[in-house]
Amino acid sequence: MLKTPRFCIAIAATLTVLGGVALLDAGAQTKFTVGNAGGSSADAERKVFYGPFTNANKIQIQEESFNQELAKIRSQVETGNLIWDIVTTTAINVATGCEEGLLEKVDWSKYLDPRLFREVGGVSECGVPYLFVSGGLAYDGNRIKEGPKTWADFWNVTRWPGKRGLLYRAEQTFEVALMADGVPPAKAMEVLAAPGGVERALKKLDELKPHVHWWKNGAESITLLASGEVAMSYAWNGRVASANKTNNLNLKMELGAGHVSGCQYWAIMKGSKNKDLAIKFIQYAVAAQSQADFVRVISYGPANRDAYGLLTDAEKATLPGQHMDKASLQLGKLYLGFWLANGDSLLQRFVKFAAQ
Amino acid sequence: MLGLVAPSIAFLALFFVAPLGFFLFRSVDNSEVPGWLPRTVTALARWNGAGLPEEAAYRALAEDLAALSGSTALPLLGRRLNHNVPGFRGLITGTGNRVDLRQAGSMREQLVSLDPRWGESTYWQTIRRERHALTPFYLLTALDLRHGAGGELQRVPGDSAIFLGLLGRTLTISVVVTLLCVLLGFPVAATMAGSSPARANALLILVLIPFWTSLLVRSTAWVILLQNQGVVNQALVGLGLIDRPVPLIFNRLGLYIAMVHVLLPFMVLPLYSVLKGIPPELMRAASSLGAPPWTAFRLVYVPQALPGLVAGASLVFVLALGYYVTPALVGGPGDQMIGYFIAYFTNTAVNWGMASALGTILLVVVSLIYLALGRIVGLDRLAVR
Repeated sequence: MLKTPRFCIAIAATLTVLGGVALLDAGAQTKFTVGNAGGSSADAERKVFYGPFTNANKIQIQEESFNQELAKIRSQVETGNLIWDIVTTTAINVATGCEEGLLEKVDWSKYLDPRLFREVGGVSECGVPYLFVSGGLAYDGNRIKEGPKTWADFWNVTRWPGKRGLLYRAEQTFEVALMADGVPPAKAMEVLAAPGGVERALKKLDELKPHVHWWKNGAESITLLASGEVAMSYAWNGRVASANKTNNLNLKMELGAGHVSGCQYWAIMKGSKNKDLAIKFIQYAVAAQSQADFVRVISYGPANRDAYGLLTDAEKATLPGQHMDKASLQLGKLYLGFWLANGDSLLQRFVKFAAQ
Repeated sequence: MLGLVAPSIAFLALFFVAPLGFFLFRSVDNSEVPGWLPRTVTALARWNGAGLPEEAAYRALAEDLAALSGSTALPLLGRRLNHNVPGFRGLITGTGNRVDLRQAGSMREQLVSLDPRWGESTYWQTIRRERHALTPFYLLTALDLRHGAGGELQRVPGDSAIFLGLLGRTLTISVVVTLLCVLLGFPVAATMAGSSPARANALLILVLIPFWTSLLVRSTAWVILLQNQGVVNQALVGLGLIDRPVPLIFNRLGLYIAMVHVLLPFMVLPLYSVLKGIPPELMRAASSLGAPPWTAFRLVYVPQALPGLVAGASLVFVLALGYYVTPALVGGPGDQMIGYFIAYFTNTAVNWGMASALGTILLVVVSLIYLALGRIVGLDRLAVR
């Protein structure tokens, strides 16, 4: 096919230029890859963490989508083909990944002050918290003037008619059901893990089931509330705040009713060639100033308590700050032990229950 | 002749048959338990499964767990056994990291004092049952069955028995979607085949446009159209046809609408290519011989269209079986399909045994359906003539 020598030369020249560009590129910058949740949280991370950090360190940060499928971490580590250097992940994945040797262990006390993270469950050797998510009772302030104050109110469809949005998952939804049944939020995990706890949660959910619209991802909870498809919903605070900001909505959150809260963590993939850089990046991302900047963009709570001092009262409005005593925390031995042991079997029971 | 197809056969063997075989094998593979607990399985083979095993078995387990202590094999073994009995993971890691082989006295006492669950026969019976390199556990679970305390097969209790129902629901949804696609697709393909080339092309593009749109976008578009506050319901209420919005989505109806929309091109395209090849003279000949339109259609047109119908229907049916994104977006809690759990076990739970077992059951059931259909319809009649 390649009859003309000129054509061959053109191809050779193109390849040389491309190769040269690739070489130049590799020489100047280290490639550093983050597995993150995508969407609005990745946008915020890019703006606050990745952008300034790449400029200061002459590196290139690439992003890949990660929806908390532990299998994605496992397959990279076990085959030795690491694509990511760090991931943003949940407490359950940090605990499992740490035990099963999928994440790097780091003595973080050498790099940061662990006391600053004590309120949100602390730093573990495999993960540093950087964002505090609260799932709670949300409703549209324009549609409901006299809002619900408790989860029992959420269950009260006579006083507040309309559908209810709940997360299509056993974890978080069971805790909320127990709160509606009168269990203090801080005791919800204890009651759930005790004999009869799961049955109690299911029984309470059964009362509301005909009125429930189950949602599967965070964006859905917001569209359901915004369109009036549901009167109230369980929702995550960052989603609610950013919907209010960008879509000019008047969604309200009643975190005083009790909320299910936990952290997202930075974790370093086992065997990452950029471990030192990863540590440096994490130090940067959890410093008080970065954390406060991050809160302003994403409206989730900071993990570093010093960041609260840099925020205004208005910025703290959707943060659980003054309602920390009303939290069922997604961390700690009891929570992790219970969901690691029973997560699969309870999801099956839940799916069966929801379908009936 | 063979030389020409050899590359494709090699390709199929390497990239289809081999991975498929590997995943089918995962549904019975149990090498972890005998591999990591060699002494324990030997000791438990001598135990009849009643009450509690002897001291030798406790000693063997302690030695096996101590050998794994500190390594990543310990939590992985825990994860494996947790599939059988929830809580096994914590039992294994908790014991393995604390057991002391040098401590004098009874090992049974030491293990029971570390965790009283070692004094319950359930955990021992589970290890004993899972002592072989192959296990029926995943396939049984996928059929809502399990082994009882005495080793007899029993049904899983009602509140956890989920997979047979899911399988039945998946098949029902796929069959209904296939039938709807035939009903809607046949007139479209026939119209296209009977039109002038220019008009046929325009229709073809109309069929293909949704085909090029992302699945997620199409599913979300249906939500916007069909929800209670959506365009369709608002219009119907505005026209006074209904008093309050009717539920059109987040139920089975919405799922059928969205799935038929997504899958219709797979019905229309193969059907169109077959119908285009049917000479229009044949229908005219039938009429001139006195056949009424319906009879001519039934006896002349349909038999020739059959290969296209079967090809399209098989495509739609098989694709529909694997759906789980669309049901998650537009279906209700009673419309989840088996793909949801296959994805969950593969990605989130990292329980490949269960994922493979569900896949295996689905594969077997579908193969049986195709075999039965082949018998009834006759595969030789389907060749394009």
